[in-house]
Amino acid sequence: MSESSCHASCVPGDHGDSMEIVKSRTKSRALAGAVGLSLLLAACADDEKPLNTFNPEGPAAQSIDNLIGPIFWIAAVIGVLVVGGGIGLAIKNRVHPDDYDPDDLPPQIHGNPKLEWGWTAAPAVLLIFISVFTVFSIWDLEEKNTPGGGVAACGDTGDLDVLVIGQQWWWEYRYDIDCDGFFEDLDGDGVNNTDVWDADDAEWPLEIALDDDDVSVANEMVIPAGQQIDLTITSRDVIHSFWIPRLNGKRDAVPGRLHTWNLEADFPGEYTGWCTEFCGLSHARMRMNVIALTDSEFDEWLANQSTPADIPPEGSEAAAGRETFQQQCASCHIIWEDGLGKDAIYTGARNEGDADRQGRDFEAALAAKAAPNLTHFATRTVMAGAIYSTYVGLDANDNDLNKGQENETYLAQYNDLPEAIDESDDSLGVLRWNRAQLRRWIRNAPDQKDMAPDDLLGMPAFPGLTDEDLDNLIAYIATLD
Amino acid sequence: MAIIEQEPSIAALPSGAARTAAKPLGAFSRPRNPVGLKNWLTTVDHKKIGIMYGTASLFFLLWGGIPALLLRLQLARPNQGLLSGAAYNQIFTMHGTVMIFLVVMPMGAAFANYLLPLQVGARDVAFPRINAFSFWVFLAGGIMLNTSWFLGGGANGGWFNYAPNNGITYNPGVGIDFWNVGLLIAGIGSLTGAVNLITTVLNMRAPGMSWMRMPIFTWMTLVTQFLLLFAIPVLTVAQLLLLFDRRFDGNFFNVDQGSDPLLWQHLFWIFGHPEVYLMILPAFGIVSEVIPVFARKPIFGYPFMVFSGIAIGFMGWGVWAHHMFVSGIGPLSVTAFAVATMFIAVPTGVKVLNWLATLWGGKLILNTAMLFSIGLVTQFTLGGLSGVSHAVASADTQQTDTYYIVAHFHYVLFGGALFGFYSGLYFWFPKAFGYKLNEKIGKWNFWSMVVGFNLTFGPMHILGLQGMPRRMQTYDASQGFNTWNMVATIGSFILGVATLSILYNALVSYRAWRRAGRPDVGPDPWDARSLEWSIQSPTPEHNFDVSPTVTDLDDFWHHKYQEDDNGVLRRIATGKEVAQPGNGEGVHLPAPSYWPLVLALSFPLIGYGLIFSLWLCIPGVVLLITALYGWSLEPADDLDDDHGHGDHHERELVGANG
Amino acid sequence: MAETTATEDLDHEGAAAAEFADQLNDTPSDFVHHEEHYTSLGLSNMKLAMWLFLGSEVLLFGALISTYLLSKTRFITELVAGNPYVIEGISNGENGALVNEMIAEASVEPLFDIPFTSLSSFILLMSSLSMVLAHKSVTEGNYKNLRIWLSTTMLLGATFMAGQVYEFTTFYREGLTYDGSLLGTAFYTLTGFHGAHVTGGLIMLGSLIYLSFKNKMQMDRAETVELVGLYWHFVDIVWVLIFTIVYLIP
Repeated sequence: MSESSCHASCVPGDHGDSMEIVKSRTKSRALAGAVGLSLLLAACADDEKPLNTFNPEGPAAQSIDNLIGPIFWIAAVIGVLVVGGGIGLAIKNRVHPDDYDPDDLPPQIHGNPKLEWGWTAAPAVLLIFISVFTVFSIWDLEEKNTPGGGVAACGDTGDLDVLVIGQQWWWEYRYDIDCDGFFEDLDGDGVNNTDVWDADDAEWPLEIALDDDDVSVANEMVIPAGQQIDLTITSRDVIHSFWIPRLNGKRDAVPGRLHTWNLEADFPGEYTGWCTEFCGLSHARMRMNVIALTDSEFDEWLANQSTPADIPPEGSEAAAGRETFQQQCASCHIIWEDGLGKDAIYTGARNEGDADRQGRDFEAALAAKAAPNLTHFATRTVMAGAIYSTYVGLDANDNDLNKGQENETYLAQYNDLPEAIDESDDSLGVLRWNRAQLRRWIRNAPDQKDMAPDDLLGMPAFPGLTDEDLDNLIAYIATLD
Repeated sequence: MAIIEQEPSIAALPSGAARTAAKPLGAFSRPRNPVGLKNWLTTVDHKKIGIMYGTASLFFLLWGGIPALLLRLQLARPNQGLLSGAAYNQIFTMHGTVMIFLVVMPMGAAFANYLLPLQVGARDVAFPRINAFSFWVFLAGGIMLNTSWFLGGGANGGWFNYAPNNGITYNPGVGIDFWNVGLLIAGIGSLTGAVNLITTVLNMRAPGMSWMRMPIFTWMTLVTQFLLLFAIPVLTVAQLLLLFDRRFDGNFFNVDQGSDPLLWQHLFWIFGHPEVYLMILPAFGIVSEVIPVFARKPIFGYPFMVFSGIAIGFMGWGVWAHHMFVSGIGPLSVTAFAVATMFIAVPTGVKVLNWLATLWGGKLILNTAMLFSIGLVTQFTLGGLSGVSHAVASADTQQTDTYYIVAHFHYVLFGGALFGFYSGLYFWFPKAFGYKLNEKIGKWNFWSMVVGFNLTFGPMHILGLQGMPRRMQTYDASQGFNTWNMVATIGSFILGVATLSILYNALVSYRAWRRAGRPDVGPDPWDARSLEWSIQSPTPEHNFDVSPTVTDLDDFWHHKYQEDDNGVLRRIATGKEVAQPGNGEGVHLPAPSYWPLVLALSFPLIGYGLIFSLWLCIPGVVLLITALYGWSLEPADDLDDDHGHGDHHERELVGANG
Repeated sequence: MAETTATEDLDHEGAAAAEFADQLNDTPSDFVHHEEHYTSLGLSNMKLAMWLFLGSEVLLFGALISTYLLSKTRFITELVAGNPYVIEGISNGENGALVNEMIAEASVEPLFDIPFTSLSSFILLMSSLSMVLAHKSVTEGNYKNLRIWLSTTMLLGATFMAGQVYEFTTFYREGLTYDGSLLGTAFYTLTGFHGAHVTGGLIMLGSLIYLSFKNKMQMDRAETVELVGLYWHFVDIVWVLIFTIVYLIP
């Protein structure tokens, strides 16, 4: 199975390594052979332009490419003709200033209505031609976005509904695995609300209450290849835009609105994207990853995501880390354990003493800034808005998007920490926790990514955490697979 | 002969009442023959105001260009930390805002102010004091907007400033408020300017200057001013709603209360798209004046040029939502706006082809002004073609908000509008200042701009289609954007130096002219066609000795060239021979006034009050009322002045409160 | 300059121009001595500027009214049930149906006092009539009537404004605050903008009355009265629209 997926994912631009992490961590220790495989993939997967729109790998992106390709050619021909004509006429008809003779006038042509009507009509005809194809394309692509349009109903094989929620500055993905819609039945009429925020008891966006049976992941969306995924896109705060260039065009995530969209990857592989609507301070650090797996791999992944997190054994480093987590992190992050509601954290966070300079309560808008759900953190290959790899050793771009103005002493203090092979990571050999980056992130996230925790935008720094606390925390989240 | 211009008044503002003559209070007498700085501060002369508009916009070009270079430095290589995210966001926002509102728009206003009255054969605009007010209030708004750098940071929401990111919740700093209030104030100037210039063109044309004898620049500016007249109020509404939201806890863009953030986008782009055309149309007008002069042929298809400009003006109102193809406006709207957008290419294409046809068979003098015009024709065409590819809405879902768009609008606004304005600067410089700019430096200026421009913005097409989004503080080495970003950065520095070299040229040319004993450049140094060349250079203060009577399109040219007995066109006179001698005796001009400046200054005071504390508004309002009172009690002209014989009729104290 | 003749193929235009020039030659060369300045359109600059300004105002109110209409679909249930409610997209028919259903079910408790506002609207419309009469009086040189009609107009306008203030106070007491809901913000902004325009008109009328009492508003200034009248009629027409959209259409 891995062989075949490797074969399929060796298409240009593929980052098969990340897929391997997703799969292997999911299957916990069953994939010892993945190491060699990963290296192989790393070798065959280095297209330098992972966002290239000219390299479509999904039907929607392909259909857009098919449409625009000829139009670009037509435009190029016209461009060459006009620019060439302008330059050519300038060269051909130029008169040296010394040869200027006021009496030697060129023919005084005032116009030629027939000709002019001609070149009014000709572009119009050409544009009618292009319009027809454009209009067909718009409706063709739109049809795919109609909920259930041309796609199996929820619950049937081959249907996956994902709610995509943008926020400053990361993406949350919610899988509606029990087909009862994305939202809890807030008004108690026995029907889950799928297209209306029934805000009986809350101001939107405070409550996009997660349905207890659904799965929430952050930064990285995992999908089955070869299937259309129905997306519903929205936002918790400002407008974002969801864009995986190789799979489809973009669609804005607008607070207060639900937009339907779709994704389909032809082959298993890793596809990256970037938030494309300016969304404030860290807009440049809001990326996303899509990992397409084969059907069976995806089912396995989903089954794993649907289980609660393991509770580490008493007395272990991880158990101490769990305690620290509950004290320090749990007011924003959730790790779903048996017996806890999946969305237990989403209400009540940050609700005291936060008022803007005009006295308006921040709560409604900002309590919803729930941080990523970390339940299966160790199965993700990216973190912090998909700007850092969770693992090192495969991707060329570890630690890639550092801010540049990092505090030198701070770096000196932490860079000499051993980025050693994570002991618990026995299945992956050369794959290592990106431990140094995790440490930096937890200790002082705003130093790693532009955020404004004082304005309740993003993750605050935790200067109070000791080195031991950090070690424990990292040991704990390493168990979250 | 007597004056043509009507007495100044202020009908553009509501609440005006008028009264018949009264002896003016001494305190309100008008400044007399001021010199130096005071002359410029109190002038109501459309030419001086035009020059001030031009100077201000060149200054802001520098002011908005430095941030652009900083942006390019930051993006030269991946993962650089020259600018933090916060700084980058402020800088790109202010770059866009300054370039659009404080460079391209006032540059258009500069040419319009200087040239419209001359081209229609008038002595001044319809309301000279309001004209001065328009400039000062624009400048006050622009400066106020930029003081945000020192008072809490620049705006950081992008020039489009989408809700709800522009709301107090997500943007608690004052930058957005400065953006909002500063542009509201500058907008007042655009609006009064539009009323003034439209009135001038519609009402103050010289005898015989019928619609189809108006120069194309006049036509395009008329369309532009109509676009302003109707577009500015929409932006004003959007900004007032934002102001109410931010300062008075309104809910227009508050999603918690059920509002729709797309409301901002609709309002902004209903303004924003006509805005795009009102930035380019004056440049189209300039090129349509320059090309015929240096091709030595009339413009090809004058009626088509006029009506395509009008068509662009009309169609510009029906395409705003093409900025919103991915905002979720529904497939029906997308279809409608995509098709509408396609067809706005038709009148634009007609213009391009007519320019080419004007070049066809001409005898071209390729001086700097002409080169810049040809530069517009070619580079704008490239921008127009990428524009058509945006209109293919499904493809736009891949293109929008990427560098492909950045490339597109810089080709249109820089390669188009700014090249056109540079052409105009070289062309009309001798008319305004009495000497030509140096041709050799001019050609360096042009070619280095062409190279720098295409090196900067050409690669952005590729970057965008390779997936690089706009407004990104940085990017990653693994994303494959390195090479072209470096090229663009190198290009931008060439472009920066090239753009500024016009100032160097002005300095060198002035010195050479002074050394040569300030020779007279003559009324008509280019053997040109329209009325402004039929008077001395630099333009006499009173413009025309006598109001010209127009019998033809390009009337002035037909005074110089006529068919001889064999039906062959020959030059029968030089421009110098048929030009008016510049004798202003007996012409009475509106006197200068302090009040436009004083009135304009009251607005930023009120603006600071709205941002920091409403108490601060009080001095602003007091000043506003004083200025209105002073304005309305001021005699239209100084009563003691010695007037021409046409001036003995009723002395009006026009205007009142408003 | 008149010796120039048209050489190009614009003969008919040339002829028209010649005719035009002839007309000008019939008049004394210093035609500016006339009461009215010469203008190309034959309309005074002031009047033209006022029309342009009003055209701009149309867009201002157009944008404000559109904003209200757009927002209206989103707070419509609030109107009947005081229940903030968010729907997906304005264009979504499904949700529209849902909203209608909710309206039907809700116990309707109208916020607006239609008869009261109808009366104040009628008063404002009547002021347009008296404004017309004022202009007529000044053109006829009947300054006494001018003062009467201007005062009547101002009185009617002021009555309307008093009604608005009363209405606002009532709504505010009933809980419709500016910052409390989208309806409050949209309603007060739209009607407030109109109110500000009426107030501006009242100031203009006051100035006219003052000048008239000082005998400075005479026949030669009739155009000023006309301009104020134009503005006043515009403000009235806008109110008719606002009244229909905000109050009458559910």
